[in-house]
Formats: sequence, structure tokens, C-alpha cells
Amino acid sequence: MIASRQPNGSAISALRSLLPVLVVLALIALVPLLSPSNRFLSLAISAGINVIALYGLSVLFGQTGILSMGHAALVGVGAYTAAILARDLCTGFWLALPAAALASALFAMIVGIPSLRVGGHHFVIMTFAFGQLLAIVLTNGGDYTGAATGLDLVGPVTLFGADMSDLTRYYLMVVAFVAAAAVASWAIINSPYGRTLRAIRENERLAASLGINVGRHKIGAFVVSGIFAGISGVLLAHFLGHISPTQFASFPSIYLALMVMIGGARLIAGPLAGGILVAFLPEVLNLDPVQSRIVYGVCLIAVILLLPEGLIAGVGQVFRRLLASGQPKQEREELDTASTTPSEVRR
Amino acid sequence: MSPILEIRGLSKRFGGVTALSGVDLAIEEGEILGVVGPNGSGKTTLFNVVTGVHMPSGGSVSFRGRDITGLKPHAISRAGIGYTFQQAMAFAGLRVLENVQIAGEHVRVNAGASHHPWPTPLALLDFVGLAALADERAGVLPFGSLRLLGLALALASRPALLLLDEPAAGLNDRETAALVGLVRQLPGHGITVCVIDHDMKLMQMLCRRLAVLDFGSKIADGPTGAVLADPKVLDVYLGGDL
Amino acid sequence: MRAVDIFIQQILNGLSIASVITLIAVGVTLIFGLTGIINFAHGEFLMIGGIVTWLAVSAGLGFPLAAVLAILAVGLMGYILERGIFRFTLERPTNGFIVSLGLIVVLQHVVVLFWNPNQKSIPRPLTTVWEVGGVRIASVRVMVILITVAVVALSFRMITASRYGRALRASVEDRDTAALMGIPVRRYITGVFVLGSALAGLGGALLIALFPITPFTGGTMVMKGFAVALIGGLGNIYGAVAAGLILGIVEGFSAGYGFSQWTDAYSFVLMILVLLFRPHGLFGGTSGPRMAS
Repeated sequence: MIASRQPNGSAISALRSLLPVLVVLALIALVPLLSPSNRFLSLAISAGINVIALYGLSVLFGQTGILSMGHAALVGVGAYTAAILARDLCTGFWLALPAAALASALFAMIVGIPSLRVGGHHFVIMTFAFGQLLAIVLTNGGDYTGAATGLDLVGPVTLFGADMSDLTRYYLMVVAFVAAAAVASWAIINSPYGRTLRAIRENERLAASLGINVGRHKIGAFVVSGIFAGISGVLLAHFLGHISPTQFASFPSIYLALMVMIGGARLIAGPLAGGILVAFLPEVLNLDPVQSRIVYGVCLIAVILLLPEGLIAGVGQVFRRLLASGQPKQEREELDTASTTPSEVRR
Repeated sequence: MSPILEIRGLSKRFGGVTALSGVDLAIEEGEILGVVGPNGSGKTTLFNVVTGVHMPSGGSVSFRGRDITGLKPHAISRAGIGYTFQQAMAFAGLRVLENVQIAGEHVRVNAGASHHPWPTPLALLDFVGLAALADERAGVLPFGSLRLLGLALALASRPALLLLDEPAAGLNDRETAALVGLVRQLPGHGITVCVIDHDMKLMQMLCRRLAVLDFGSKIADGPTGAVLADPKVLDVYLGGDL
Repeated sequence: MRAVDIFIQQILNGLSIASVITLIAVGVTLIFGLTGIINFAHGEFLMIGGIVTWLAVSAGLGFPLAAVLAILAVGLMGYILERGIFRFTLERPTNGFIVSLGLIVVLQHVVVLFWNPNQKSIPRPLTTVWEVGGVRIASVRVMVILITVAVVALSFRMITASRYGRALRASVEDRDTAALMGIPVRRYITGVFVLGSALAGLGGALLIALFPITPFTGGTMVMKGFAVALIGGLGNIYGAVAAGLILGIVEGFSAGYGFSQWTDAYSFVLMILVLLFRPHGLFGGTSGPRMAS
């Protein structure tokens, strides 16, 4: 029994989950060969920047089970850090990256310590409030934060002397960052640290009984999500060249939560799928922004009620159930610990 | 030899209700001690205070001579006291092997048993007889196997002292016998055991020594046979049944 | 104006805003406190109440009839959404919360789709302004305050004094036992949800009587509603009213004395502080119904 198990068997199966994501990203990196329109590139860059933040959210929500409504605020801290550093210290893109990651991580810690103390359903409301507060503070920050109009960010992004500001190059750079974010998130999920976070998600009391410092790890997960968000913020600020407070208030946070849940927060492919779907579905279906928002909202509700582990996992499950339709259905329901299917509601 | 766990004058009040009043209890290294008492006698409160869920209102708990009164649950576990719950036995959404891996990753190596009898998670699963189910999600295990997995999780945290809260609740006779067989081996692996339960049959199978709680106080403590013959215990707890 | 006049003026202004916030907060405190459903789309319910009022008044109806229509329409919407969506999330409050986020997006943009994103206003239903000393009292503000007081008092009585109220509170304590005792818990949850929704409909009608609204008005209002509900203590109507008053007055003063840009921040700051130091609210409440695990 024991002998038949390869010690590296789980490492190989873990790699198998990352591989499709990297293949898809490699294909995406080849798209410029088809000389796509500038509109496509801009959309893809925005989607990619979101996906980086979503990988952080997937560690927080998918692995640890903590839902945050302040993730856009963490992206905003990163973006403002980049813009203020560029203005005051003429700091370039590459130096802004670690600085913004640090700033967002610090902000996450400052918000996380009191919010997680509150616990339960109130946590999500706390993060929402902190997100709104940040937007208010930025709006009232006078010249330092540029008030309601926000800040401009000028200065080229260079890599080994090459100007990356060109749309195609920026696109390629964002794809590389997305790949890095996916690999980082994959590494976290498959490490003992990721297991610890999942243990907390499953049962905090049992986790504590095994020596896990639940409070500290939850704050840690929040900080990790902040690092992803901070980096995403720098890319956003340099891409847009202008940032303003409303971009980082609670509604953008809601959209980020929506994307990660549509894609599936627990899967390594989830954030990528969610970010791409939400960015490109309206293009494909030829919807205007208002219609597409309605479609997202309906999708989100449908996903939560019908496919609680996200679209990708849900489609996979339906597929598997079709293949093995002889299997008893009961087993699947027991497997879905997060599911709330209508049949479970008793009253 | 000094006891591995020493509880002195432990009290716990909830509002106006006294759940524990001045309980003294010493657990000797290498024994299997049973703590019994009717429902509401304070067993679960004792368990919760020792494992750090509740702060005691008075008294102290020391483990291997170190004062651990009021430490948080994770710190108690790291000090070398493992414990299992009646309800939360395993991480239902994770695989069985993953469950045991997690449990082994947060111990200070020198905290609990000096040598670990089960070097790998699989060896531990083998010990409790669940190795064949290593890749299943814990949530799909039958109840009896889930109890055994709960035991494996507690053991993986390398305890020197293991507290079991109603470990056989909900098990059939065959499963109970299997559990008893496992628990009896633990002192041989350097693990002291304290079982908290009201199931007298189980206690007679497992424990040479019993402590009896009633209304938050200890009313008897001694060899199982003597305690069961104690008229006070018969009167208060067993209602003259035995 | 004398200082004391300004003071009284600000209190009156603050109270009328506080009334609308209190109506949301009472709905939130009832729904979240008694059923465990965290409906962040409650602000959109309010906004739709305002839109219905606007449509009705634009069609030539009087304000009172329009307000009744708003109450009925939003109550009906609450019924449909509870039966169609929220009841499937009762055992998993987080899912209910996420669903409500989806609803926010849908409701806002459906309104934009049909009636464009611009501001909508109605002529003031009452135009009289009384001058008392140096204080100008707009009768429409007094109307808003009085209606709120009456409606909140009625809801309070319904929850605390009636047979239904007692059964309802029993089902908060322990849903399963209440169900065993023959209390139709499911129907009560629906009832509370519809009542809370109807209050939001009324709030929307009153809001548009005071200010113009947009399809996005709900966002800030619901946060304030949740803040007030949590500050007052969940499930505690009296607490919600008291907290609503405090917040309304603070906001009124702040606006009156030149700190209007920070107005929206107070509710959040106050809520964060209350949750940290008095998690059951300033006036005590439940921590939400116990969930079947």
C-alpha cells in the first residue's frame, strides 16, 4: 500500500494543474503575431492587470475562506504609491513595484488586524467600510493625492533600456506578470502554507487544536493578497497614466470579487478564466457596458446558486457527471462542502 | 515522579453559573486516566479550560512543570497537549492525507513525545488503519473512519498528553473495540492519555484510574475498581446501576 | 442667523436625512438580525422605491399614492427575490451576501438601461416653509420625519408585542427548535424580508421627496444603513433608531459647519469603532441568528 505511492506523485499532479494555465498564457503571448487592434491590446492589458489582483484574492478567499470587499482599495494603495513615488522621488516602474507591494501589504495588515478581530460575517462589512474610507481619504487628500481628480503618472517604463510603454510590449510584460502571479499563487496553494490556510478555511477550531495560530495566518493571507494587489496597482497606474479615487472604492472591489467567483476561487485557472471572461464576454456578445454588467450580475447569482465552486469547476463537474452518470449523485453533494444546492435547504 | 499535567483549584464561572469549582487533578506520565461524570458535571468545561477555549476564573494548569493557564488553543497544542473534539473531527473538504500532513506541520519538534513513533503521515494513517483511504476527501468517510482520522490528526501533532473528548460517541461495538485497541497502545509510544466520557463500559475497558466529577467538583479519584465501588459515586452518578 | 438658529436648523436637516437612513437600518437590522440574510442590495431596493415614486409622479399620480405604489412594488420585489434566490442561501450566509452583490449590479444597471443614469427628481410634495424665529422649517422635512416615526413605531410594535413577533424571536434563538414547536420559520423569514423591503420602498419615496436620486444612490445609503444597524445592535429596532438619530445629527452638523466632504466617513469610522469595542452594538443586539452547522 505504502510502497505503491510515489513520493513525488503529488508534486506531479500539482504541476498538472499549473500546466494548462501556462500553456494558455503562452498562447496569449503569441497573439501580437496576429497584429491585433489597439482596442484588443488595451482590453487584454486591463484584464491581465485584474487577473494579477485576482490571484491574490484567490489565496484569500479560495484558500483561506475570507471574503474581502476591499481588494480594489489594496490595488489603489499600490497605484497611488507608484504615482506619488514617481512624482516626489522620480522613482521608476521597477522600484515602485517592491515599494507598492510593501505599502499594500502594510495597509492590508493595518486593515486586517482590527477587521479579523471582528470576525464572522462582520468582517466583510469591515473591509467594505475600509475600502470606502480609503476613497474618501484620497478624495480629501488635497494636492498630495490629487483630490477627486486624482494623479497623473508620467515617465516611461523601461526594461534593459528598452521602452516598454508601447502597447504591444506592455501587453507582453503584463502577460509575464500574470504568469508570475499564477506561479506564485500555485506555489502557495501547493505548499504547507497553503495547506494551513485551507485547514483554517475548513475548520478554525480544529486548526487551532493542531497548533495553527489561526489569527496570525488569516492576517498573513490578507497581507499576501495585498502584495498581489499592490503589484497590480503599479501596472495599472503606469498603464492608465492617470488614477482617481473612485477606481478603488467598494464597487470595483465588488467586481473583483465577482470575477474571481465566476472563474472559481479555488482553482489555479479560476482567476485567469474569470478575468478574461469578464473582460471579453461583452466584446464577443457585442454588449454595451450596461448590458454586460447585467449579464455579469446574473452570471454571478447563477454561479453561486448552481455552480458554487465557479464556472470552470462547475463545467468540469457536469462533464464528469455526464461521463459517469451511473455513479450515485449523493457522493458529489457530500464532496461540495461549499455548495448550497436547493435540495440542501430543508425549510 | 511529578505528574505530566497538574490541575490545581481550577474554577470556571459563566455569569452566575459555576461550572467548575476548585478541581484538583493530576495526570501521571504513561497512564490512561478516565474523567467521568453525568451530563452537566463539568467534564466539557474542564476540557475547554485545559485546551484554552475558555479562560479559567481561578486556579492553574501546569504541564510538565510549566504554567500553561490561559494559553490560547494553538499554544496549548504546541506545548505538547493534543486533543480531539466530539464534533469537529477532520477537515471535511481536504484529502485524508492532507489532513494528517497539516496536523504534523505545526509542532515544535521538541515539544511533545521525544521520539515520534510514526515518522510519516502515511505511517500514522497505517497505524489507525486508514492508509487505503489516503486520497479520499475526508468528508466522504464513514463516521467511524472519521473518528479514527480525528485521532490520527491529534497524534500527528506529536502530543505527550492526549485528551480525548467522548472518543467513542456514535461508534458501534466493533469500531469502539478498534479504537480501544489503538488507544491502549499509546502509552507504549510515550503518550499519556486522558479520556473524558460518561460511557462506563468504555472507561472500564480503557482506564486503570478514574476521576469522577459532579456539579463541577471532583468527588472521587482512584483505581477504577475502587472508584466504581465507592458508594458516593454509585449514589451520585450511577444511580446504583452497577 | 444667530448661532442657536443655525444649530436648530442643522438638527432639523439632520433628522430628515436620518429618517431615511433609519428606514434602511430598520430593514437591515430586521433582515440581517432575524434571518441572517446579508442583503447588500437593500440600498438598491431603496433606489427602486425612489424610481417607482418618480415614475408614478411623472405619470400624474399624487405623492401619497406614488409612495404607496413604491412600498407595494419593492415589497413584491422582496417577496420574489426571497422566494427565488435568498431562500437557497439561508444555510450559507456568505453565499447570500455574494448573491446580493450580484443583485446590486443587476438592479442598478436594469434601471440605467430603461431610465438612463441621470438624476431624477419630483416636485416637492409639500412646499410650505415655516419661519419660526430665524429658523426655516420645510414642511416636507417634517413630513419625512413624522412618517418615519409612525412607521418605525408600528414595526417595533409588530416585532415586540405581537404573537408573530414572539414566535419570530423564538426562531432567531433556535431555528430548529422553533420549527419543531410548529412555528412556520420559513414563512416568517419571508415575511421579515418583505417587511424590510417595503420599508426600503418607503425610504426611497421619502428620499426622492427630499433630494434627486440616481440609479447609484443605493450604494452609500446601504453602507450607512448597515453601519447604523450594527452600531445600534443587530435585531434591535430601538438601537437602530437611536444610532440613526446620532448619525443624522452628526452628519447634519458636519455639513452645516463646513466639513461636508467628510460626511460619508463618519458612519464608517463609527461602525468600525463600535464593531471593535462593542461587537453587539451600542445598545445590544443579537450577533445574527445561529446557523445550523
